[in-house]
Amino acid sequence: MRRNFLKLCSLAGLGVAVPRTLRAADKETPPYEGPYYVVFNASGGWDTTYLMDPKGINEINRLYKEGDILTHGAHKFAPTGKTKDGGMSNEDFYAEFGTELLVVNGLDYSVNNHSPGARYMATGKLDSLAYPTFAALVAACKGPQYPLAYLTFGNYSNTGNLVAMSRVPYLPSLKKVALADHVEGNERSPYHEGFVMDRIEQALARQHQAADSQPRLPRLERAENMLYAAQVSSKALQRVVPHIPASSPKERMSQQAEIALASFKAGVCVSANLTIGQFDSHANNDRDQMKLIPEFLAGIAYFIRRAEELKIREKLVVIIQSEMGRTPDYNKGNGKDHWSIGSALFLGPGIKGNRVIGATDEKQMCKTISAQNLALDEKGIRMRPEHIHEALRQLAGIDQHALAKKFPLGVKPGELLKGLWG
Amino acid sequence: MKRTASLLPALVLLSTAPVSGRDLFFDEQVWPKVGAQSCLKCHKAGGDAEDSKFVLNDPARDKTTGRHVSQIHNEAAFARMAKSMKDGESRLLLKATGKLDHEGEEVLKPDSAAYRLLADFVKQVTAPAKEPQVATKTNERPFFADVVMLDDPHVIRRASLSLAGRLPTQDELKRDVKMHLAALMKEDAFYQRLREGFNDIFLTLGADGNADQTFLSYDHFPQRHWYQKWEFADIAEEKDRKQAGYKMAREYREALHGEPLKLIEHVVRNDRPFTEIITADHIMATPYTARGYGIFEEIKGQFKDTNDPFEYIPVRLHALKGRSKQQDQESGTGFYPHAGLLSTFQWLCRYPTTETNRNRLRARMYYQHFLGVDVLELAARVTDAAAVTAKYKVPTMEASECVVCHKTLDPVASLFQDYWRFADQGVYGKRKDGWFTDMFQAGFEGEDMPGEERWRSLQWLGERTAKDPRFAVAMVEHAWYILTGRKTLLPPKDLEDPLHDAKRRSYTEQRRIIEETAARFIKNGFNFKHVIQDLATSDFYRADGIASAIADEKRLAELDDIGIARMLSPEQLERKIAAVFGRPWGRLKNTDGGLAMLYGGIDSKEVTERATDPSGAMGAIMRTMSNDIACKNTALDFTRPAAERLFFGQVEPDTLPGTVESDARIKSTIAHLHERVLGRSDAVDSDEVSRTHALFTGILTDAAMSRREPQESYYCRPDPERTPIPDPHYTIRAWRGVMTYLLRRLEFLYE
Repeated sequence: MRRNFLKLCSLAGLGVAVPRTLRAADKETPPYEGPYYVVFNASGGWDTTYLMDPKGINEINRLYKEGDILTHGAHKFAPTGKTKDGGMSNEDFYAEFGTELLVVNGLDYSVNNHSPGARYMATGKLDSLAYPTFAALVAACKGPQYPLAYLTFGNYSNTGNLVAMSRVPYLPSLKKVALADHVEGNERSPYHEGFVMDRIEQALARQHQAADSQPRLPRLERAENMLYAAQVSSKALQRVVPHIPASSPKERMSQQAEIALASFKAGVCVSANLTIGQFDSHANNDRDQMKLIPEFLAGIAYFIRRAEELKIREKLVVIIQSEMGRTPDYNKGNGKDHWSIGSALFLGPGIKGNRVIGATDEKQMCKTISAQNLALDEKGIRMRPEHIHEALRQLAGIDQHALAKKFPLGVKPGELLKGLWG
Repeated sequence: MKRTASLLPALVLLSTAPVSGRDLFFDEQVWPKVGAQSCLKCHKAGGDAEDSKFVLNDPARDKTTGRHVSQIHNEAAFARMAKSMKDGESRLLLKATGKLDHEGEEVLKPDSAAYRLLADFVKQVTAPAKEPQVATKTNERPFFADVVMLDDPHVIRRASLSLAGRLPTQDELKRDVKMHLAALMKEDAFYQRLREGFNDIFLTLGADGNADQTFLSYDHFPQRHWYQKWEFADIAEEKDRKQAGYKMAREYREALHGEPLKLIEHVVRNDRPFTEIITADHIMATPYTARGYGIFEEIKGQFKDTNDPFEYIPVRLHALKGRSKQQDQESGTGFYPHAGLLSTFQWLCRYPTTETNRNRLRARMYYQHFLGVDVLELAARVTDAAAVTAKYKVPTMEASECVVCHKTLDPVASLFQDYWRFADQGVYGKRKDGWFTDMFQAGFEGEDMPGEERWRSLQWLGERTAKDPRFAVAMVEHAWYILTGRKTLLPPKDLEDPLHDAKRRSYTEQRRIIEETAARFIKNGFNFKHVIQDLATSDFYRADGIASAIADEKRLAELDDIGIARMLSPEQLERKIAAVFGRPWGRLKNTDGGLAMLYGGIDSKEVTERATDPSGAMGAIMRTMSNDIACKNTALDFTRPAAERLFFGQVEPDTLPGTVESDARIKSTIAHLHERVLGRSDAVDSDEVSRTHALFTGILTDAAMSRREPQESYYCRPDPERTPIPDPHYTIRAWRGVMTYLLRRLEFLYE
């Protein structure tokens, strides 16, 4: 029955939450060793011309001119050192990470609305509500058995029923649940003596096996598997405790970073969605973007530096994105409205940095590229989220995984971005 | 305990089923897979292609039985277009593939399954010599064949816990299910659940800011801060007065937040037509909120207790008076033009507008909340959205890619034009420069709002909404969400998917129960209680298992969404603990460091979707909860007289395994625990009881192998003084282990 279920799950697109290794409740899952996938999301739509796709012409930007544009290796970026309101300037960000950074410009989001844009960028699929985010998919393929396999702090987070999502709003929350079998999380005060707890776990394992041998509705079967997996895997949460810092940073993205990093370091998490909002600068675009982009970059830098301290930086795959860009002109309220062309940034193992792929023209329109050599090509393709996601799946080595195949992105063979990662 | 669904072939009674004698191929293939998905969005009244020769009727707006009129009309329209030829090719195919002048350009790829279906249809209507396919479906295997259904007592238990947060009594278990449901829906606990469920949908509790500041504008409600002048003359100490003031402000704001959900409660509790949630000419106000509105003195005689912050009564507000004349609200009656939830300050503040958003968020939420239409759900891809935006001066009125949605959305957005105040500035107010001229003007689905109706524009919208067949369907879908914890299925889109037909059947069967229930809802005068009764007695709610293993992947796909199997929300779990143990746990709250958010709860602001599957962190909370509840209740139960115990009335701490009589009592106790905690009716000699028995005896065996403390753990002693509880045989702790085990089971944690 169980074998049939697994087989049929893969056929029917159902999530498989309980790997066979979990069936023996007394076996602790070894820590997940990476790579760790982290998606940084600028929710609301960032102004790419104030970061990695600078223009300074045609009144696209009021804070600098074309001649002010800065470079770092292959990168061109907008100057923000003098105009930023807190946070980290582009100058400092590129100086620190430019050699590792891959920039994709001229990305065609295809739509102008937050909801579909966020869904499209998160999943690579515009016209479906069923698809998992990349972060969820990679967690499901690489480690659904981990208690915080897929962490999310907001933004579009659909799981495709492949893996449970975890929301951990505050650092202290992690402490609260890490020692679940002890009174008030006090290691010296177990609720049950050890032999009783062992008996309970064994009884639950037997009960799970008995249920497994009975015919059940698919939905019930999946629920039982996910419940059992959640309870068994939760024991591994105690590994997080040593990595929880004594105090919480104040910045909103840094707080998310500490929760994700503690979970990565403890080997209980595969992927995390980090997000900050309010980028939707319909009024006073420059004021808002000059506050938010630096805050966003500072949060990313904080994350990477802390990963360095924790000695997991070399295992971090970083994706930096937003669901849309901003128009090339200002509205009457000094704001910028939604624009369907944008950019994304990547760095991490397997990604060759100091490169820029794709471009926009002087009116911030998308330029097409050759999928074969990634050079600008008038007869080429419009680079869209599904192209990026197909490449991400390849980078993660999950493009041939049964779960990934259940959610095809429909990229034609000739449109696969060859050598995107270098 | 359970029954199996009938194996008799079912008659097809789909409300959307083909009309007798009509072409099944069109109704079941061409329309749902091509027409509804690819054509209807533009080719309908109010759509971008409403002026073309190919105008379809939206079945969702067709009030006729079986939606005959729209289906007949649509088939005829398709047939006409199919027969119309251009250079020997059907215009239907040429248009669909963008080869003829077609605003929508290419909507079907020539190599797609949808195109092939359309081509087959063209062949059929252009060579109609043979009989049309009017095959009946009487030989089709019933959808619920081999699905095991809960019997009535277990449906009663499920519904009692779900809707009223309590266990049924023995007498209630013998009742007719519908009668029991009717009784449940008189209980306050049901209305708490109802409000909670509708907040999951409308999210009005998530409106930002201090309610008295946000909802009640400085301009129109000079008494909004009435509580700041309250004297608390009966309280001697200053610090106590301060605390009382904080409490009063907190309760006032909570009462304000609660008004929209209380309106829903009022409508249901009093068997009012549910359409009143968008037509009611009143709000619900309490003594506290009435003070904020400045009408307390006028209505105080209607309250039973003028000091009760949460006694809600229906109230009409006067038309708003501003600090200057320009801020006065126009009104044909002298009253605020209430339109149920639509015009409440809470709903409007929860979905605020901006200068650039122009009320489109409100229009989008209106469609989603009251007509079940998610405008942005499946956005159409635009070849080059940026170029379209740049090409037209007003893309939302000129570019067909944009007009397709904005022609529907913007007239409704314009109906909200006089509720033009931004964050923290209240709600009512006209735009200084007049309403935007570069967007579609106020109206609804192709009908312009007459100018003289502007002062009551939301009432005008509410009246049309109430008559729209989509309203009834949307409300049944909301009830479905409240009962099952998940949204109704969307139609499968991928015609190339080998499981498409199976998924389509699953969708169609669910759609049938939704639409049949909606039809009865309308017929019963929009009594929402009947919707709950209908759905909770349906096979969808009863389905609980299958009679034998299924290997056929298509059948598995058909049954994929069948069965409740819903993880309880933090609020539901607290109520279930209270029902089974007599008091809640108290740690699954959203405030004071509670674990609700970590356990998949929502805050109605940033986190608005409940977790449906448990993460490892939630698994840990389940462990803590099971340990803690067992700790707090096991020894406690043994301290009660045997006749008053909830769990262990048949055993004592010295009841040890080993004799026929004691073993019988232990097994009977286990069966009782299964019934009370898990809702399972297991025989004492069942495998289930044996497994639990093995746990109990196993713990005792292990305990006997070395010296143990002769008393229950310090932390699990029930009284505040922590008086020791003797446990010389370890039985109390063994029963605690059993209780922990049961509390971690799916039957307890899920519905």
